[in-house]
Amino acid sequence: MMHQTIKRDGVETIGDPYLSLEGINKKYGLVEVISNLNLEVRKGELIALLGPSGCGKTTTLRMIAGLISPSAGKITVEGRDVTQIAPHGRDMGLVFQSYALFPHMTVAKNVAFGLEMRGLSRADIASKVAKALAMVQLGHLAERKPRELSGGQQQRVALARALVIEPSILLLDEPLSNLDAKLRDEMRTQIRDIQQQLGITTVFVTHDQVEALSMCDRIVVMKGGLIEQVGTPHEIYERPATPFVASFVGRTNRVKGRRMADGFIRIGSSTIRSTKPAGQDDVVVMVRPHRIHIDWNAASTEQPGETANQTAAVLSRITFVGDVIQYHFDVDGSEFIVEESTKKSQASHRQRDKAVLSWSVEDTLVFGADQ
Amino acid sequence: MTTATFDIPVGSQKPSSTAGIAVALLLPIALVNAIGFILPVFNLARMSFNEALPGGGIAEAFTGANWTELLQDSFYIELILNSIMVSLGITLATLLVSYPIALYLHRASGAWRTFLTVLVISPLLTSAVVRTYGWIALLAEQGPVANVIASMGFQPPRMMFNTTGVVIGLTEILMPYMILSLMAGFGRLDPKVEEAARTLGATPFRTFWRVILPLTLPGIALGCLLCFVLAISSFITPKLMGGGRVFLLATEIYDQAIVTLNWPLAATLSMLVLIIFGAALAVYSRVLRMIEG
Repeated sequence: MMHQTIKRDGVETIGDPYLSLEGINKKYGLVEVISNLNLEVRKGELIALLGPSGCGKTTTLRMIAGLISPSAGKITVEGRDVTQIAPHGRDMGLVFQSYALFPHMTVAKNVAFGLEMRGLSRADIASKVAKALAMVQLGHLAERKPRELSGGQQQRVALARALVIEPSILLLDEPLSNLDAKLRDEMRTQIRDIQQQLGITTVFVTHDQVEALSMCDRIVVMKGGLIEQVGTPHEIYERPATPFVASFVGRTNRVKGRRMADGFIRIGSSTIRSTKPAGQDDVVVMVRPHRIHIDWNAASTEQPGETANQTAAVLSRITFVGDVIQYHFDVDGSEFIVEESTKKSQASHRQRDKAVLSWSVEDTLVFGADQ
Repeated sequence: MTTATFDIPVGSQKPSSTAGIAVALLLPIALVNAIGFILPVFNLARMSFNEALPGGGIAEAFTGANWTELLQDSFYIELILNSIMVSLGITLATLLVSYPIALYLHRASGAWRTFLTVLVISPLLTSAVVRTYGWIALLAEQGPVANVIASMGFQPPRMMFNTTGVVIGLTEILMPYMILSLMAGFGRLDPKVEEAARTLGATPFRTFWRVILPLTLPGIALGCLLCFVLAISSFITPKLMGGGRVFLLATEIYDQAIVTLNWPLAATLSMLVLIIFGAALAVYSRVLRMIEG
């Protein structure tokens, strides 16, 4: 699919947004749960609303579906203002976290419901239902009642029911959160495959950063009713806009430092470089645990180049997590965690072992201390 | 795997002792029921085959005369059919006025819901006699309701001492029972399911018809059973509001037992009401199976 993407000053703008939210505001009484939210979604895109509970992501989704109306702002689909349109006139497929299948109807009847509401002929309905159930591999369970299905099967019925009406937009509200870990992985791939196959514009609400990173074209990170950052998974992970994004998406080390007039940042007794301009203020420095290299030969006198930072550290604790091993280091009183993939013949290290930690200047994330 | 001995009767003591406790706990109510309900019912059943003598006497006999009288006399056949129809009408009226209230209460939450629920139940704190007299005052010929209708330029209909009065009075009296039964049966109604119907393109009306109503059928069945049984056995309201002109099973039983002193016939009528209860219960369980199936 062709996206008309123009990059300007690092801000991505898009030609014609398919779904757009402009100046959306939602208040419950005096409490503002969404403040001035602006978002543009391209046709065929899978976009995640990611954030902790209470960040307003589900509220946003429900406003797109028309189940609640915004206190202010405008929602458009293909340029058409749908803000005042009731949910049954919006043509959107919503998959609920609890699936919300009709308990008194069979699987086939559940899937057929939306088609019946659209007044399709019996024959059309039967063939579309069969096709939709085949897509989610549930054709053999068509005559069962929802209560006779497992959680994963119910989830797929909900997906088939939302997709069979060929909605303009598919909305997924934490669809995987009630599944066990293994099934979740499977469904992640399956949902992404179906979404790609149909090329359907999809908004996916989740609090799970792994789901957002692995499935979505773009991620909207939200916190307290505000958008923290919008970007591709790569951008969100590598160039987080705020300390919140850096710590919510992926793991990170966080230390306080001071930016100097010469462009260096002082952390305790160490001095490091960053890609940020010089200044004179307190900053927060973040480095991803697996982007740090450990040189166990602490006596090494090799000087870092212009592109790397390094600091002396003392090992304080080791945590074995199976596929990775976490080394906890003490660096001038602050803790640095370094992750390495485990190998069969792991070199053994002990508490109080000295080491030199190094990481590239590019991996040094610097934020203002007040952010 | 080593062979293990499986013949240790672990826990075989426990069930029997818990069963003993269960029997001990059930004994008092079983006793009360046996003496206060089952025995009198057998007594009534027996009496319905006795012979009534003029002047209130009872002759020990085993005759089907009372039953044949009931089932052949056109007055009694009409009485039975009338009772069933009026009770069904009252049940339907109660359902129609109670359903919206129950649905609203089901959706309400917090202190507001508690307050409204108390409000719904509060009429039960007042005796049915007092409430019936209240209705008599309201619906009387020169009463407030008649005056309002007259002031709108219509001829006020008779609302008292006829079937209309009985239906109005009993409907109001049975509403709390209906609302509570409906709410008890609304458990399957999840607001998310209604939302799902809306997003799938169902208008509010079709959402109600296709999703809300089917999911509330268990509550409707329960409420209707309860109200039908209460309506057909109610005595005070039909007696007071019928003004002796509305003939229903319960009032007729009273008249036969107290006025005419024909106890065998009163017993036969009572047994008939019990049979109608049984039939209602059978219909209810059948409907419930249909809904859940």
